[in-house]
Amino acid sequence: MAEILHYLGLPINMSVDGPAIDEVIVLTHWLMLVLFVGWGAFFIISLVKFRSSKNANADYDGVKSHISSVLEVVIAVIEIVLLVGFAMPIWASRISDVPEANSGAFHARIIAQQFAWNFHYPGDDGIFGQTSPNLVDEMENPIGLNRSSEGAADDIVTLNQLHIPVNTRIRLDLTSKDVIHSFSLPELRVKQDAIPGMKIPVHFEATMTSEEFLAEMVGTSREGKGLEIACAQLCGLGHYRMRGFLTVHDDEGYQAWLEEEKLYLEENSDDDDWGDDDW
Amino acid sequence: MDNNHHHQEESFWRKYIFSVDHKIIGLQYGVTSLLFLLFGFCLMMVMRWQLAYPEEAVPIVGKLLGDGGILLPEIYNSLGAMHGTIMIFLGIVPLAVGAFGNYFVPLQIGAPDMAFPKLNMASYWSYFIGGVIMIASFFSPEGAARSGWTSYPPLADIETGQTMWLIGMVFLITSSLLGSINIITTVVQLRAPGLTWMRLPFFVWSQFITAFLLVMAFPPLEAAAVLQLMDRVVGTSFFLPSGLVVSGEVLNVSGGGSPLLWQHLFWFLAHPEVYVLILPGMGIVAEVLANNSRKPLWGYKSLVYSITFLGFMSFIVWAHHMFITGMGSTMSSFFQTTTMIISIPSIIILSAFFITLWGGSIRFNTPMLFALAFLPMFGIGGLTGLPLGFAAADIHLHDTYYVIAHFHYVVAPGTIFAMFAGIYYWYPKMTGRKMSDLLGKLHFWPSLIFMNGVFMPMFIQGLAGVSRRLWDGGLQYAHASGTLQWNEFMSISAWLLGLAQIPFIINIFYSMKNGEKVDRNPWGSTTLEWVAPSPPLPHVNFDSIPEVHRDPYEYSIPGRKRDFTPQTEPKKG
Amino acid sequence: MRIFNSALVIIGLASSSFAGDLTGTVTYDGKAPKKKMLRMDSDPICGAAHKDAVYTESFIVDENGNFANVFVYLKNAKSDSVPSEAAVIDQNGCMYSPHVLGVQAGQELKILNSDQTMHNIHGLPKVNKQFNFGMPKTVKEKTVTFKKPEDVFVVKCDVHPWMKSYVQVFDHPYFAVTGLDGKFTISGIPDGEYEVVAWQEKFGSKRIMTQSVSIGKDTQTLNFTFSRPKKK
Repeated sequence: MAEILHYLGLPINMSVDGPAIDEVIVLTHWLMLVLFVGWGAFFIISLVKFRSSKNANADYDGVKSHISSVLEVVIAVIEIVLLVGFAMPIWASRISDVPEANSGAFHARIIAQQFAWNFHYPGDDGIFGQTSPNLVDEMENPIGLNRSSEGAADDIVTLNQLHIPVNTRIRLDLTSKDVIHSFSLPELRVKQDAIPGMKIPVHFEATMTSEEFLAEMVGTSREGKGLEIACAQLCGLGHYRMRGFLTVHDDEGYQAWLEEEKLYLEENSDDDDWGDDDW
Repeated sequence: MDNNHHHQEESFWRKYIFSVDHKIIGLQYGVTSLLFLLFGFCLMMVMRWQLAYPEEAVPIVGKLLGDGGILLPEIYNSLGAMHGTIMIFLGIVPLAVGAFGNYFVPLQIGAPDMAFPKLNMASYWSYFIGGVIMIASFFSPEGAARSGWTSYPPLADIETGQTMWLIGMVFLITSSLLGSINIITTVVQLRAPGLTWMRLPFFVWSQFITAFLLVMAFPPLEAAAVLQLMDRVVGTSFFLPSGLVVSGEVLNVSGGGSPLLWQHLFWFLAHPEVYVLILPGMGIVAEVLANNSRKPLWGYKSLVYSITFLGFMSFIVWAHHMFITGMGSTMSSFFQTTTMIISIPSIIILSAFFITLWGGSIRFNTPMLFALAFLPMFGIGGLTGLPLGFAAADIHLHDTYYVIAHFHYVVAPGTIFAMFAGIYYWYPKMTGRKMSDLLGKLHFWPSLIFMNGVFMPMFIQGLAGVSRRLWDGGLQYAHASGTLQWNEFMSISAWLLGLAQIPFIINIFYSMKNGEKVDRNPWGSTTLEWVAPSPPLPHVNFDSIPEVHRDPYEYSIPGRKRDFTPQTEPKKG
Repeated sequence: MRIFNSALVIIGLASSSFAGDLTGTVTYDGKAPKKKMLRMDSDPICGAAHKDAVYTESFIVDENGNFANVFVYLKNAKSDSVPSEAAVIDQNGCMYSPHVLGVQAGQELKILNSDQTMHNIHGLPKVNKQFNFGMPKTVKEKTVTFKKPEDVFVVKCDVHPWMKSYVQVFDHPYFAVTGLDGKFTISGIPDGEYEVVAWQEKFGSKRIMTQSVSIGKDTQTLNFTFSRPKKK
């Protein structure tokens, strides 16, 4: 079944947590298939066998056995197993196992907006600077970061570019500036709404780097196309193109990217304070 | 009713426009809602052009769109929102409840009219006004709503066009509330002598449960719609949190509201609404199946208990639409469990329908074909709800085309096929003539094929993770690249599905004059509506109030000459 | 970059009074803020449109202190004529061109899209009606009109947050935007006493500079100098 679903379109799975999700999808589709084939066979046999031209007189009672009740109980039991054995524990781990801040996990924030993803990395000190709606300047300070607040000086802010290390637990805290968006990474089986006024964590761990992913995709329709972030919740006229880019690095690659960002930050940081001077 | 000897003197207006006769109101509902269904379908056919051929000028209606005929993303969003709104609130609900419920509930229970005829008329006109407002919104300076039929704030609070949508919804909801009160009262109060609860046709049960769902689920949405209207018009912030920055500017609102509050209120309606859409369809299918397999409905009592249980459970599953809004594990466990529980009565109902066929003498006329097709189609729709009901699987499938395919299988080849079955089945009762079987089959087979052509590939796109409501159908996204070739296929199927409705439209008009003339009971049916003349008498329906002696589906009783025994036939007759 | 507004052609010489020109240079005094590089990797099509590094356009000053993108306009002028020629703003390389633009009330503003990507142009006037629409790559031109004069407001792109331009709506044609050389010219001004305003985005609404001028037959010259704000 997994092969069939992959053949049909289910993307490659490159997350530690993904196989469990896929397993529920696969098992449920087995249940669906068995039920549908069962019903379908019964249906077709009935139609052929009991067409009026062949069976002129109907049987008042029809099916007398109550085996269908037994089957219904069996289906209920299967559903309970899927529920208690798979769906609930997976969900619980998704909600409860969120890595604590500063637990060694990678930690960043996502601030969604119409129609782009802002990523806020805390920098070397691991402290996110304060943000305020009043400081938002779409061109120069899209998340309203107060650079003079504690720990803010080294914060890195990127637009539509999420860079993460491989084989590391990633924690992302999602929020939104304006309307509801939904952060979706199909290959990592991650999807979480970004809701204004709320901060919602998601966590996952990638098992391959972007390079390895691309190597895997050679010869498919995705050849040469890297990992992307999709918006899954209607957020306005630009919803369809609210596309971000995900790059999964090995450790060296990630450090190299960080250095690059630091250099950019240094070169482009404010050298003066035009905002709060006195006239 | 009291004035039955006056009815010849009624003016045209009183008789056909501001009528209080449930049959005329039912026909008004039927005609209006079928026109809305067609209109909503046309919106989708335009959208499917953009999905198949992104950024190419739309033929035929392109001139209306301006900008060289290209369907702009904001207009696409409008069409999407209005397609959903129109199909659900202006198409299927009024057709299923307003038209079929109005026309056939009183007939099937042997009543002369609805309990509150004037309320009935008010219900139709409230619906009509709501529909006019929705259509007018396309021509208003702000344009039609473009925040999806779900209207999630903050988007719906700040996006243009939403105000008229909300006002329209208030009228539509009011209409449904008036109508459902009427159906409940009618079923409770006006049943013919001898028609006990367990002798009610399954269709009446389905309408009765549906009316309860409407009357209990719609008020929260009406309240929510008024709150959202206030957010937009008078500057409240029920659904707007503090600190919103829209397009670079801090939104000047008081804040402190909750966007999720809307979702809870909305889905508290909209999940029972799903059952509002499907239960009347099941009711019609039950009638047609029993009649055309010449057999009692299998497991009538378990069907009644299942549908009642289904109605009850439908009130406590709503948050399964909200798994990825950041729901904790306790709440998600509860809603996953209720969702799995609700799947059981659905499976029981569907199984009973299948089993009904066993041992029958099945006639394949047009109504039966539609009713039969309903079974596997609704089966697909129902089964594909299972992976969406498990929160874990929902992570991958949420808000993808998988969801679109799932609920369209329930509603389009599900409910709408059931509605077609109902129209073909009861047309002789409404007009005294049968619809053409040849045109009916020309309608059925292409519809069945192209329905699947439209919706089956959506499962594939959904598995690939392609989000819904994308203006370019996923063209931007790498993960969609393997499934894009289906877009054109689905669009062509949709347009052919449109063509497939032409025989139906012709059939309705053609058969009014040229259909085979039939007597009161052309299908050899058992329930009470077939005792009345065709069409039933204005305002009173029956020649005399029928008396009921039997269960609803007494077909092929062993040892009898006729293979059906009407409910009115005395036991020792 | 367009320096002069096309509107200056319209001036009515037919009127009984004389008409004069106003010209001058806007300069900046002090250490300029650091240029900020724009990163367009959030939309590869934008990034591909530029070979060299792109910088923000909010503060363009050359080594001699000539200050570009400064609005210079007469405050108390009036004119009934509305140019039939449309003003133009282009979306090119995911930048607005021009960055600062004056239009007249009632005059058409033609919005072009020269890019192979979608822009979502969103005008945020307070007095006039807001506009907000998508321009996919196949929609090359749209037109809007502002009915009333209005102080400067932002026109931005909701898809590319760095794209921002400033538009002001006048009820007369006597306005100009300085070029890269800091120069401006306003021609055909009916004689009289005027207040001349210079506005630059970085200095914001609190830092508008105003001078008086008397326009006669000849060309008048008027210079403005913006100074770097001093820390307290």
